[in-house]
Amino acid sequence: MNQILDAKVLEYRGKTLNFSPEDPAEAKIPTDELHEHLEKPSTARTKRLKDRCRWKHAAAGDFIEKGVTAGIERMRFLTEAHKASVGQPEVIRRALGLANVLNKSTLVLQQDEFIVGYHAEDPNMFPLYPELSHMAVQDYLMSDYSPQPAKEAAEINEYWKPYSLQSKCTPYFDPTDLGRMFQFSSMEPPTFASGYNSIVPPYETVLEDGLLARIRLAESHIAEVQKEMMAFPWNGTKGLDNIAKIDNWKAMVIACQAVISWARRQGRLCKIVAEHFETDPKRQAELLEMADICHRVPAEPCKGLKDAMQAKFFTYLLCHAIERYASGYAQKEDSMLWPYYKASVIDKSFQPMAHKDVVELVEMERLKISEHGAGKSRGYREVFPGSNDLFILTVGGTNGDGSDACTDMTDAILEAAKRIRTPEPSIVFRYSKKSREKTLRWVFECIRDGLGFPSIKHEEIGTQQMKDLAKYSLSGNGATDEEAHSWANVLCMSPGLTGRRKTQKTRSEGGGSILPAKLLEISLSDGYDWSYADMQLGPQTGGLASFKTFEDLWEAFRKQYQYALQLCLSTKDVSRYFEIRYLQLPFVSALDDGCMELGAEATALSEQPNPWHNLITTIVAANSLVAIKKVVFDDKKYTLEQLREALLANWEGFEEMRLAFKKAPKWGNDDDYADTIIKNFYEDIIGGEMRKIINYSGGPVLPTGQAVGLYMETGSRTGPTPDGRFGGEAADDGGISPYMGTDKKGPTAVLRSVSKVQKNQKANLLNQRLSVPIMRSKHGFDIWHSYMDTWHDLNIDHVQFNVVSTDEMKAAQREPEKHQDLIVRVSGYSARFVDIPTYGQNTIIARNEQDFSASDLEFINADI
Amino acid sequence: MKTDTCNQCTQFFPIPEGADDYQVGKADCVLEKEDEKGKYWLSKPVSDNSKQCDAFRAKR
Repeated sequence: MNQILDAKVLEYRGKTLNFSPEDPAEAKIPTDELHEHLEKPSTARTKRLKDRCRWKHAAAGDFIEKGVTAGIERMRFLTEAHKASVGQPEVIRRALGLANVLNKSTLVLQQDEFIVGYHAEDPNMFPLYPELSHMAVQDYLMSDYSPQPAKEAAEINEYWKPYSLQSKCTPYFDPTDLGRMFQFSSMEPPTFASGYNSIVPPYETVLEDGLLARIRLAESHIAEVQKEMMAFPWNGTKGLDNIAKIDNWKAMVIACQAVISWARRQGRLCKIVAEHFETDPKRQAELLEMADICHRVPAEPCKGLKDAMQAKFFTYLLCHAIERYASGYAQKEDSMLWPYYKASVIDKSFQPMAHKDVVELVEMERLKISEHGAGKSRGYREVFPGSNDLFILTVGGTNGDGSDACTDMTDAILEAAKRIRTPEPSIVFRYSKKSREKTLRWVFECIRDGLGFPSIKHEEIGTQQMKDLAKYSLSGNGATDEEAHSWANVLCMSPGLTGRRKTQKTRSEGGGSILPAKLLEISLSDGYDWSYADMQLGPQTGGLASFKTFEDLWEAFRKQYQYALQLCLSTKDVSRYFEIRYLQLPFVSALDDGCMELGAEATALSEQPNPWHNLITTIVAANSLVAIKKVVFDDKKYTLEQLREALLANWEGFEEMRLAFKKAPKWGNDDDYADTIIKNFYEDIIGGEMRKIINYSGGPVLPTGQAVGLYMETGSRTGPTPDGRFGGEAADDGGISPYMGTDKKGPTAVLRSVSKVQKNQKANLLNQRLSVPIMRSKHGFDIWHSYMDTWHDLNIDHVQFNVVSTDEMKAAQREPEKHQDLIVRVSGYSARFVDIPTYGQNTIIARNEQDFSASDLEFINADI
Repeated sequence: MKTDTCNQCTQFFPIPEGADDYQVGKADCVLEKEDEKGKYWLSKPVSDNSKQCDAFRAKR
């Protein structure tokens, strides 16, 4: 049956609206295979590159494609340098380690590719990081993905045990507390044990200055302070500061020189292949052009768009995969590349090309990222089902002067995403009322094609947040009002500054998770986890029988939450303490204007605080609190003791009671009873308690509500909850999204509920699933645009959409091989539907597909 | 002349003088590979007197 042909007719403002497809040809496409007809790569080359893409996605902890394994070269050469540099300053050792990896590692060049560079010795491999977490490497050694020779890899991992971040930090914590964190059910394990990380590289200095200029700057700083140190009279209270500065600048020079040499070696490989292996004259010429680009950049400033794309990719590899692991692809890409677009497409002053060539270049970039592998531990592969790593870039928004930042580069990025249909990198669009309609149309086209992105962030909320956090800058040099407009999502949800200075360098600044669903569960059982780990998981705060009032339970949860907060945030700052001393980032330091000016180390210098911590599964906890208040304390239908008995039985034999709790008011229906409690939960406990904590950078920590794939993992580790959920069922899929299937009052009721939470929040992810026929109709754009303007006026931080039919998802479950191009939004990332385990697929099918009624259209004031 | 060293291999490409990583006797070893996903090339630094490896292809 074709759902699109069957679309309903709606009476609205005296008109009869017919939701037939905007493109009449779509009427002939069966609903359950629509997405297999939407791919339109812009060239035969990008079609070939997609067909042969070496995806590195994982599901249930395993890599989906055969032959993917960890490489050994990075860990081998890093270790070799570490052994050879004993006695030298630690930051110099880090630079020498990077240099040894770059100088000796094997380079890769693949057929058809234009953007070159890889981070392991084979395109099916990815590197490991024993200096971060020996436990994460051990994970690989025990698997089929182990680096080879396995014996050498095991020896390397053993060598790093006393030096790793994990070993440095562990002695400062009680093993009991760490054991609770390692359950990954109420708290994410500490950064120092997982090695998981994020960063916003200051790409702009590479593109604008080139590394040779950065080297000259560092050398001139060294000369200046050496001269200063010899100037009479010596002042030991200041002069000794120069020692660390000199070491940092020297390390920057070593790192930049090694990077230039490595990039030029990559260029030489292109030239050798052109001259000795390739027979096609056109490709030979292209390889020679690539060789020239790699010789010039990142050493010199970029002059055209090809330069910029290549220099950016090299910088990405270094900052995210070679110097240290970091997830993400954080950048304000359209603004960064716009000067080079102008040079190549408009002025044609260097590397002249047409707009369509830019689209092809971006498609190639997307495929390059799609085959980038990350050496995450099994635990982190499990919590991102269907994902490779969280590659997320940002576009749109406003410039420093407040004008619309959308350009033809923005459009090229969006058009490429729509055409090539890869789930990664995901895109964030900063929605402003100033955003031009031409670009909004591209945003809409991507969304209605079911990519699940761009996810939308509120321009003014994000910019204001940069200004607010700047006030806490310990150096008094936080973002200026103009700089506050330069931001991108660091990973899924939280904004952070982009640009030449003040960007976030480590996840010990912002990131990590607390899982309220589990905390709520143990709040009902004196802190004991009876359903999963069978251990005391938090402080003893009383069992259900001890709660005389709803407020008693509320306060018990608060104590469990405070315990988790204290542990999660202190482990992050202790990680930071040792990162500064043993995990320096000399290459990143060389790129940051602040580090360069001050001779500072990137992990140490924090001019702009950006502290946050993720809250994942808040709504299961919140709905449970509402249900207890309503059913037990207000209606007195059941007692807490009866609830306790039913939960211990996983509701078995208590179905009538479960339904009573399930029918209690739920979040997302504009229901004042539920919303008042839940607003208070977010603002008083979740945000209110968190912001009492001050992090290393001096800022109050704020909650970022989201879910990644953890809503599935946490759900499977969380017992039955008083919202009527069975033990093991998935938790809520956003940060502030209604629980799947419980938002029954339409899309605008969801917006009204969500808009009530405003205080003490950093970001909150809102997942919505919209009707395919309505979005693909000729009215689709106007309805979506009106919806977005209403969302903006309600001051909501975020929203993202699935526009995929249940028919098609079920067809893909039946015949996955025929639905390789079906993409869905999981939470902070999109994935190919067939790459997600069935458990996860079902959570997406279960999300309510929002239709628009006439009253919804009235509420958003749709002008149709 | 030794016949069992890298410099006797067709995949041995001496690093040009003036390159950042130029050293006498140092070269790029470039291997062409192919799997179900297509062709690719690997380059790693070697020295002229390194012992030949399994991928050695003698110059004619």
